[in-house]
Amino acid sequence: MTGSAWHPRILRLGVVIVLLFLALEGRLWSMQAIQGRYYLDLSEQNRVRDLIVPAPRGAIFDRRGQPLVTNRASFTVSVLPMEVPDPDRLAEVLAPLLGIERQEILDKLEAGRRRPFESVPLRRDVSKTIVVTVEEHRIDLPGVIIQAEPVRQYLLGPFAPHVLGYLGEVTEEELRTKNGYRPGDLIGKAGVERVYDDVLRGDPGRLQVEVDAAGRPMRVLGRQQARPGRSMVLNVDSSLQQVAEAALRGRSGAIVAMDPRSGEVLVLASAPGFDPSLFSGGISQANWRRLTTDTNLPLLSRAAEGTYEPGSVFKIITGLSALSEGVVSRNSTFECTGQLQLGQWIFHDLAAYGTVNFIRGVQVSCNVMFWRLGMAVGEPRLARYAKALGLGEPTGIDLPAEAAGLIPSAEWKQRVWKTPWYPGDTLNMSIGQGFVLTSPLQIARMVSAVAMDGKLVQPRLARRILAPDGTEVSSFASRETTVPVTLPPEALRTLREGMRAVVNGGTGAAAAVQGLDMAGKTGSAENPRGIPHAWFAGYAPADSPALVVVVFVEHGRRGGEIAAPIARAIFEAARPWLAQSPAGQVRP
Amino acid sequence: MAGAVARRAGAAVSTRWWHEVDWILIGVTALLVAYGIVALVSSTHATSDAPALLRARAIHLAIGVLALVAAAMIDYRRLAGAAKVIYVGTLLMLVGVLVLGESRLGAQRWIAMGPFGGFQPSEAAKLALVITLARHLDAVKALPRMRSLFPFAAHMALPMFLIIRQPDLGTALVLLAILAAMLYVAGARPGDLAGIAAAAAVTLPFLWRILHDYQRRRLLAFLDPGADPLGSGYALIQSKIAIGSGQLFGKGLFSGTQNLLRFIPEHHTDFIFTVVGEELGLIGATVLLVLYLIWLWRALNIAAGARDRLGAIMATGIAAMIMFHVVVNVGMTLGLMPVTGIPLPFMSYGGSSLLTTLAGTGLLLSIRLRRRPGH
Repeated sequence: MTGSAWHPRILRLGVVIVLLFLALEGRLWSMQAIQGRYYLDLSEQNRVRDLIVPAPRGAIFDRRGQPLVTNRASFTVSVLPMEVPDPDRLAEVLAPLLGIERQEILDKLEAGRRRPFESVPLRRDVSKTIVVTVEEHRIDLPGVIIQAEPVRQYLLGPFAPHVLGYLGEVTEEELRTKNGYRPGDLIGKAGVERVYDDVLRGDPGRLQVEVDAAGRPMRVLGRQQARPGRSMVLNVDSSLQQVAEAALRGRSGAIVAMDPRSGEVLVLASAPGFDPSLFSGGISQANWRRLTTDTNLPLLSRAAEGTYEPGSVFKIITGLSALSEGVVSRNSTFECTGQLQLGQWIFHDLAAYGTVNFIRGVQVSCNVMFWRLGMAVGEPRLARYAKALGLGEPTGIDLPAEAAGLIPSAEWKQRVWKTPWYPGDTLNMSIGQGFVLTSPLQIARMVSAVAMDGKLVQPRLARRILAPDGTEVSSFASRETTVPVTLPPEALRTLREGMRAVVNGGTGAAAAVQGLDMAGKTGSAENPRGIPHAWFAGYAPADSPALVVVVFVEHGRRGGEIAAPIARAIFEAARPWLAQSPAGQVRP
Repeated sequence: MAGAVARRAGAAVSTRWWHEVDWILIGVTALLVAYGIVALVSSTHATSDAPALLRARAIHLAIGVLALVAAAMIDYRRLAGAAKVIYVGTLLMLVGVLVLGESRLGAQRWIAMGPFGGFQPSEAAKLALVITLARHLDAVKALPRMRSLFPFAAHMALPMFLIIRQPDLGTALVLLAILAAMLYVAGARPGDLAGIAAAAAVTLPFLWRILHDYQRRRLLAFLDPGADPLGSGYALIQSKIAIGSGQLFGKGLFSGTQNLLRFIPEHHTDFIFTVVGEELGLIGATVLLVLYLIWLWRALNIAAGARDRLGAIMATGIAAMIMFHVVVNVGMTLGLMPVTGIPLPFMSYGGSSLLTTLAGTGLLLSIRLRRRPGH
């Protein structure tokens, strides 16, 4: 067919092609004829397994670099689903050994079948005894392997559990909605661990290994290094937080301390708490049941998720709206006779204070004065100012759960209670009773706005993100807005004068710290569930606010007697912090 | 088929036509397509979509045979005469796929075509560019210095850029191989070609930057398969296990365990060679390579015997296209080449690829039919 000779260049091209094909053929020969047995072994016994190498999770530090959460080494008993000839028998043997239900093992095996060559963790953080026992029963437990895995270590014990949060195994729901998780993975379930899960968790590595007949890794075929997670630096000041937690010991309540200038949250304490290390290796059924059925609700963050009647602390809103709307001035006088008649009803105050001006009225928390101011301002404007200062809505703090609270209105009452708004409702609202519900965190934000001339900050726990080598990746800044109502400087000045008087010889005198110019307001909030709640909300220094402190003691009875002394302890402990303001803070 | 048309033109022409056809090329092409269908059935018979895949393959084949016949009947010189239209049309298609294309597996290579599934313009672009570049090269009689290669490099660079943007690294590399082979046969000095290659190497860092993450991972996986055992490296390791375990005679058709267990991703498309290697062993794989060698021998023979320079260059381009596909695809499954995702001609499941390779075969037949007298 080839009549005449090929052109030399075409011929040379042909030679190149033949050489390339010879190379392919040579490779085929070496793989199939020479190494064929080896590859056949690999394929016939399906001896390649993928082991997940968990990535160390990022650490959590307080604002001064004190480590709060790190990792420690632990052992995890895992199973390779492909290697298990008889799941029922395996569950039978393992359940008592690991102290988990048979069904749980079977469920996990079933879930793992979708990725049959990847290991599925059955029980994390097992004791050395269990490790030894599993190793001894190797023959009876085909497919069961022991892997080293880092677990969470909480260096300060039961410290700030509502802030730090905890981990748990990823749920079916989370697997569906989030990328990059496999069954059995740990994921942040609450607190910072949850909000910043993407930051803290790294990328797991993988080991592709050749296993023997019992599923034991023999030889590493491929390796992908785990990439550790990044670390978080929080705004929390661990020593202040510890003072707050000590002050709340034995009580139910919450303490918030925040820098009103930046929204940095230095303290977010809630009592009772829990020990987050219970969750380290996966929480046991018994412990989980104990935490969730405790009537003191230890899992609830009272600071951010709990809402309570603010009582007289709400008078800050009533006073501010009345001053701003011009219905009262500093020297207006009121007759605090101890009661107020409204139609056929008589509303009783705790005591009679005689004739008072506005400042004195705030100082002694005269209900009659605030009732009159509330009536003069009216429910719609009270609600407008309350909402303008951030009450009745989430604060936007970087936590997974937060309560909105409630600022009632006539429309709301009609809708929910099917009754009209009565003048008595306005009286109750004026003194923070009735339907008003706020979280301690909202109160802290509201007081910040008063202290900072109407600047409304977003409370924030996260400070910085650090790479695994400790270098800064990014830092956080709070969203801040100005309240959407006009607050005349004169109104703010008068209100703050009243709040200073509260701490100087008023209801909040017990909060006073020697040598510190402070302002605040107490509250003793009657509530349908029992003894009144005790509140104190204040800031210092009065002329250049650097710290807002809110103390809430559930059923603490008297704000001035219970909450104010706790606030005093916080301010006292915060002296170093206050001393360096306003010169700026030391960065960790 | 074409016989009816030719016979009507007269007995003499009919006899001549019959003798001019390269029956070896047609025979070996048919064997390759048949081999591919066997491998496709074997690799998918255990899955529920097997009937659908087979039906689609039959449609692809029917369209491909029509394209082959059409390409064989059209005078390749008339095709080359329309080079400008073809070139502009190709560029428009490539821009079109970037604008309206569908994404599959992270790349935007397809234009939806209703019941035919999708069309991959970058496949057809290869053949179209062989035609236009051949015409372009035919217009100059010599390539005396390196500078004279630049217009042709630019000719390929524009569509290559569009194809890399899709991104389809494999096809872009195929274009490079076609360009080199055609320039060489057109008379470029080897030193100049090496110079161009060196210049291309300089642009590699730039290329690296416009690559997608997955393309970088694939290249890295080639350099170190263990680095990403479950990603691209995973496919490589599993592919090698499949082929190696086939040993001399293979595990027998329909008996490949690696493929059955779906260890191998895309095993009926880019990794179809692993099916052959595992189930038919060294013997089956060698037979396949020999079939390709025969095909390439016929293609180069057509190039050598072409009536004119245009035909010779065009046939070389088609041969280079098929050669590069086979070497890179088989090399990839054997761990000799990076996983670039280019199909194995005639074998891989994929309509655009089959259509292009069969049309290319038709074009070769067209050149053969109009060869130099007495050659």
